Order: sequence, then structure tokens, then C-alpha cells
Amino acid sequence: MTVVIGFEGSANKIGIGIIRDGEVLSNPRRTYITPPGQGFLPSETARHHRAVVLTVLQEALQQAGLTPADIDCVAYTKGPGMGAPLLTLALVARTVAQLWGRPLVGVNHCIGHVEMGRLITQAHNPTVLYVSGGNTQVIAYSERRYRIFGETIDIAVGNCLDRFARVIKISNDPSPGYNIEQMAKRGSRYVELPYTVKGMDVSFSGILSFIEETLFSMLVEITERAMAHCGSQEVLIVGGVGCNLRLQEMMGVMCKERGAKLFATDERFCIDNGAMIAQAGWEMFRSGQVTELHDSWITQRYRTDEVEVTWRD
Amino acid sequence: MAAPGSVQIEPGKLEFALDVPFPSSREASIALQSLSPDREPRKGGISKILTLSGSTLSVRWTADEARILRVSVGAFMDNLSLVLETMEMFGPPLPQS
Repeated sequence: MTVVIGFEGSANKIGIGIIRDGEVLSNPRRTYITPPGQGFLPSETARHHRAVVLTVLQEALQQAGLTPADIDCVAYTKGPGMGAPLLTLALVARTVAQLWGRPLVGVNHCIGHVEMGRLITQAHNPTVLYVSGGNTQVIAYSERRYRIFGETIDIAVGNCLDRFARVIKISNDPSPGYNIEQMAKRGSRYVELPYTVKGMDVSFSGILSFIEETLFSMLVEITERAMAHCGSQEVLIVGGVGCNLRLQEMMGVMCKERGAKLFATDERFCIDNGAMIAQAGWEMFRSGQVTELHDSWITQRYRTDEVEVTWRD
Repeated sequence: MAAPGSVQIEPGKLEFALDVPFPSSREASIALQSLSPDREPRKGGISKILTLSGSTLSVRWTADEARILRVSVGAFMDNLSLVLETMEMFGPPLPQS
């Protein structure tokens, strides 16, 4: 039996989750929500996380019905993400790891999303579309690496949606993307906008004044291209933008046409959360990876394919 | 020859020294290991050295400009206080096996 606690805070969500052998025991989360028209900046976000981190940690333990002695390993997000918020969580993770005498595992945030998606959906070896405010990547596993098949050449699709929401002053509560989706459901006019796919990659910065249909079509296209290259019959969508039902619907149509299966998780797990870090940490720890304290520095840039995936063959 | 324990200050450089006492050397060491892994966000113009002596954590900064020094010291104090609060809420350290 292995119990891992995971600390996540790379953007405006702070989550601490506990996993025991594939079972999510607790996964509390808080979101730093800014007024309409404003995005979130690193120092204010770090201040938000700082104010709640110890409370959320206590909640995670209480809701799981565990004490520190029950924890086998402490996982935290090493990167990528915003520096100051990442550091806030890393400081607490390093400190409790030492207080409790447990090993530390530094997790790649993107891999956290992938491993949570795999755990919850039990997808076997899917082509992964990872879409969030900070990241847009098409990922496929091959020979001990999560290979990046395609990605945005400029901004993430979620960043694009968030900035659009800011311009027209849509509320950020619970998230700008959610509110765009609700409004889009009531829309009926399709406006043709620049559609920018370059082979395996996409570009979003040229089309900030637009609608979901175009963005999501681009993502479906590059996912399909990666599936064709890999001969894959499964698609897994992870990341906050993955909550979007229209994206899931459009991806579903493409999958049906190919006879492939679509997997997605609900908002508990596709939005940044602590349990996903715990899950990736669980996989890493069980396959023998730990992070020495002096190597536990956080980093704003951390490519998904930099990690040696020792837990898959 | 400089007296033992003193620091040579290069002309034009600013210095700041901080000594933080802990209840034990184990706890001082925990704080040190939590606070030392990350590089300074700003590459040039500032250096920070953390050392342990007994149950005291010592920090020494040298910087070219007051503004840079102030930002680094301020950030360190925020980080230190978070580590201390964490130790207070989740300590004392479990006995080492």
C-alpha cells in the first residue's frame, strides 16, 4: 500500500490531494478569481496561495481521515508554471517531507494531468490532447517518454479564451472559459475567422476575437493527425479546457468517424488539482524515482518530454 | 588580515546579514534545506548564502543596488515565515529512524 500526497499551485488554482493505490482519498482545491477584465499576476497569485495553503493541507489530511504518519511520499509540482506560486507550494512540500521523514518527488505538471486522466478513465494508451490556460499539446507515449507531437506555436488555447473573456469583461467566476461556454450555447451565428494549423502545430494569437468552433476544430485536426501517425484508437482530453462539452462533442464526432474511443474526466480532475500530482508522484515513487532536496528547485519551463517515464514500458 | 568570522565587503557593494535561531539544529537544517534549492530569480547583481551553525540559520547577502537587495531580502522573509508556520503547524519533526 502506498499513500502519496500531491501539492499543486502552478497557476491560479491551489490543490492538495491524497491518493492511495489509485483511490483518491481527498482533493480539496481553491481558485484565485480576479474581477472581470483582469487576469491573474504571479505575485498576487502567490499571495493567495500563501494565505490558504496550510488550511488546504489540513483539509486534505482531515478529509482523507489520515495523519502525517500514514503518508509514504510527498509529491509537488516542480514545473512548468508561474515562479512565485510554484515556489509557495514547493516550500511547504519540502518542509513537511522533512518533518515527516518522507521522500520528495518533483512532478511535471503536464504529466500530472496525463496520469490522472489515465487513472480515472482507464484509457490504455491514448493520444492525449492537453489543453489548459497555460498549455496546449498533443502528446503520445513512446519508449519511456511522453512525446510532444504537436503544440501551440504561441499561446495556449485556454489563454486565448481567457484573454477574449477579459476583453468583453465576462466574469472569471468560476472560470472565464466556463462562462464563454455557457454564452456560446445560446449563440447561433458562426463567424468565419482565421484557422491556423501548421502540420502538427497550431497558432492562436492571431485569432483573439473569435468563437470556440474555430479553436476546437483546429485542435481536433491536430489530434486526428497524431492518431493517424501513431495508429492510435483512443483519445484522452486533459487540462481545464477539457471540461468544455463542445470540445468533447467535436472530438467525439471525429473519434466516431475513425472508430476510436474518446476519454475525458470531469471538472474535479481536468482542472488543476493536487491529486493529479499525487498520482504522477505515486507512479514515479513506485518505479524508483525520488527528488533530492537540493534538486527540488522549481522551474517555470519544464517540457513534458524531459521526464523519463520509468513506470511505463 | 581580516578577523575570523568577519566578511570582506567589496567597495561599492551592499551587505545584509540575518541570523535566525531555531529550537534545535535539526529544525534549523530543515529550514535550510527548504529554503536553499531555488536560484535567485534575478541572475546578476545579488548573491545570497545560507549556512548552518548549531541551531542558527545564517543568511548573508551581497548586492550592487539597494533596490535589488530589498527585493531579495523581502522575498526571503516571506518564504522563511511560510516555512516557520508550516513547521509550527505540522512539527515537531518525527523522530528519525
